[in-house]
Amino acid sequence: MSVEIEGLRVAVGATEIVHGVDLAVGDGERVGLIGSSGSGKSMIAKSLLGLLPHEATPSGRIAMGDAVVLGDDGYADERTLADLRGRYVGTVFQNPAAALNPVATVAKQIELPLRMHYDLGAGEREERVRAMLDKVGLPQDVLNKRPHELSGGQRQRVGIATALITSPRFIVADEPTTALDSITQRQIVDLLVSLVDDAGASMLFITHDFAVLSRATTRCYVLEAGRVVETGTTADLLTAPKAAPTRDLVSAARTLTLEAHHD
Amino acid sequence: MQRLRVILRTMWSRGTGRYALVVLALWLLVALVSLFWTPRPLLATDGYHVWAVPSADHWLGTDGTGADVLSWLMAGSHTNLVIALLTVVCSGALGLLLVGLMVARSSALASVSVAVVDALISIPTVLIALLLAVPFGASAAVVVGACSIAYGLNLARVARPAALLAARSQYVESARADGASGLYVLVRHIVPNITPVLAVQLSMSAGTSVLAEAGLTYLGVGVGAGVPSWGHSLATSVKLINVFPLTVLWPGLIVTLVVVALNLFGDALRDAADPVANPALRAGVRGESADAMPDTLQAARPSLRSGIASADSPLVAHGTKEIVDER
Repeated sequence: MSVEIEGLRVAVGATEIVHGVDLAVGDGERVGLIGSSGSGKSMIAKSLLGLLPHEATPSGRIAMGDAVVLGDDGYADERTLADLRGRYVGTVFQNPAAALNPVATVAKQIELPLRMHYDLGAGEREERVRAMLDKVGLPQDVLNKRPHELSGGQRQRVGIATALITSPRFIVADEPTTALDSITQRQIVDLLVSLVDDAGASMLFITHDFAVLSRATTRCYVLEAGRVVETGTTADLLTAPKAAPTRDLVSAARTLTLEAHHD
Repeated sequence: MQRLRVILRTMWSRGTGRYALVVLALWLLVALVSLFWTPRPLLATDGYHVWAVPSADHWLGTDGTGADVLSWLMAGSHTNLVIALLTVVCSGALGLLLVGLMVARSSALASVSVAVVDALISIPTVLIALLLAVPFGASAAVVVGACSIAYGLNLARVARPAALLAARSQYVESARADGASGLYVLVRHIVPNITPVLAVQLSMSAGTSVLAEAGLTYLGVGVGAGVPSWGHSLATSVKLINVFPLTVLWPGLIVTLVVVALNLFGDALRDAADPVANPALRAGVRGESADAMPDTLQAARPSLRSGIASADSPLVAHGTKEIVDER
């Protein structure tokens, strides 16, 4: 599913945080959005499905496939949005420890989008959840465990399973690897990429880490203080960054990688 | 079912939990039995044996009319059980409704409901009871009504921080991103995460309803005249406490034992029903689809204050004072 953002502005109170961002994700394309903390990445991610905090006011245009999410009259009605959320659009969150309900079992969490959007029996839901566990490489016995009994990587696999259980056409990955160690980061990125490609879905991958981005995306946007400062293929940006924020991000990724090699 | 068994077994394995379970089971049993049988008919009085000390005929003695104290206490256990259960149900419903409003995503609705709860919570329970007694007269409904309003408000205020934490959490955001509605989030995500607070608060409100019944009946706005209740037994015997102290001892002792049991029950239930704190539950429920259960993080420590406050025999006065203090 293609996604188009045109002139998106997000203001919280009197302060504008996102100053007119244009961004497009083609059908089946994996696109990155990179920027340092506070550049407005998460605000853009939340505005995609109308999940901004109450005090934030967005304007501009967001379209997903045929549906207009944000138009001149503000957001589409709650029904349209609820239909997109979890059914056509899956979201993977940054911190899997916080994004999972501490008191609900893994089975309950993964089947949530199915419960919300499809009229399936309990047996059929469990069958799909079990199949999904295989896909994300989790053992079947995690089904009745709760989040605190899983490792960080396992939790993020649960997050990915939840996002992908309904075979959505578009995935928003909001810093899915930031809370993980570097080896787990690589596994999670590779898993996400292979599942998204297998499903033929498109993805917006948000991160501050170029090293991760180069594995996950083909094209990317660099965000700085609420504005897109550079865009191009991920490989080009990595080898020949033009804008200053891009150079900083690329050199940060290199330094960290080098340090990792010295250890 | 299996989960219930594991929870009960865990509660039983601890001294306080065992005490609570035994006392509450006895209460339930006596209340049931009293529906069909009491040692003496309630209205059978013996004018020659008033204020009698315990004997083979009257195990706990007689009161000022010569009626059997044990029979009246047994029948009273039934009234107090109904009052306590209704209080838990009504205050729980009111409390959850208010919690739902207080954590609403609309900030106007949330701040108005917080202000209203804070304003209403300052009204003493006794005053609410006196106001309710105007249209309803002295009846159990007054006790249930006053307790439900007071403890419902209290519950809402105590549970609000935990509920707010859950409502603003990433897992709620993530559930909304999966297409969950506001009501679904409230029922499936917020309520399970405040269950520890609910368990403690609701069992305390059951305990305090027993104290409130005693206090309000003494004031004349509790259960009606001639209706057996522990408060009634206390009120009728307390007038001659200096002459016949023993008659006051029995209802006082029962109220104390039951209130302490209810408070400990909430504590033990919270510890036992929490899959994070109770490994037996995790091991036991595997393979069965377990519903969401409480979390340790936001559990509020209950106090035994209200349970211990009424240990002495001038109990009715204490009971009344306690209600005032509680607000």
